[in-house]
Amino acid sequence: MGKLTNFKRSLWVFHASGGSCNGCDIEIIAALTPRYDAERFGIKLVGSPRHADVLLVTGAIPRDFADKLKRIYEQMPDPKAVIVVGNCGTSGGLFYDSYNLVGPIDEIIPVDVYVPGCPPRPEAIIDAVVKAWLKLEKLEKELEGKKE
Amino acid sequence: MISQLITGAGYWSPLLWLAFLILFALIGYLIYSRGNPSYKKDTEQVKPYLSGNAEPAKEKIQVKASDIYWGFIEALKGYYKVLQAIHTGDLRDYILWYLGVGTIILFLLVGGA
Repeated sequence: MGKLTNFKRSLWVFHASGGSCNGCDIEIIAALTPRYDAERFGIKLVGSPRHADVLLVTGAIPRDFADKLKRIYEQMPDPKAVIVVGNCGTSGGLFYDSYNLVGPIDEIIPVDVYVPGCPPRPEAIIDAVVKAWLKLEKLEKELEGKKE
Repeated sequence: MISQLITGAGYWSPLLWLAFLILFALIGYLIYSRGNPSYKKDTEQVKPYLSGNAEPAKEKIQVKASDIYWGFIEALKGYYKVLQAIHTGDLRDYILWYLGVGTIILFLLVGGA
């Protein structure tokens, strides 16, 4: 990863869980434990999408949650990136043909990074966040270009 | 001459008050100016986060005056059910009640005479 020249701040992440079995959610928490310690890079989970740069979504997204997920995405300030963690959000996974699902997530909101796995390892989640960071760097540059 | 007003509870200095007002306004402006300028007005970005739920109308989330005596109405709901059914809002009904009850009272008072 090169030097960040535009996105010069800690990366705040909001985690939305939609119909997840909690496997991916537990791996996200594992990424924050002292063993992986994502916070040493400034990566932090926040309690509101209005404070977040990255939206981390887990689960296969049931019908009732789709509009809520869309609203959460819309409430995030620009620039923003979306990471889908796990097979369920990526493709529907085990539940791909369920009558009550509206996923995969990229059919509801735009997704930037996919982390397949059931569940994915914490290293993979941290790697995805770094990829989202690079995307944000690009978006921030575009935003600053618009301002000038 | 602007002087200090000394009371038993402390003192009041208009110049000091003005100095603090300017200082705090400046601090407020500094915080405001460091905010995210790319915020889009009149979108979901400026609405409160309610776990992804839509923000209800202000009227719907207000505490109404009737909420204060909700327990009273709940405890006496049998009585209120009858009373509210009688309250039709039609003045002719009220006059009818007035005349009906008035007749009964009149009959009780003078009927036996």
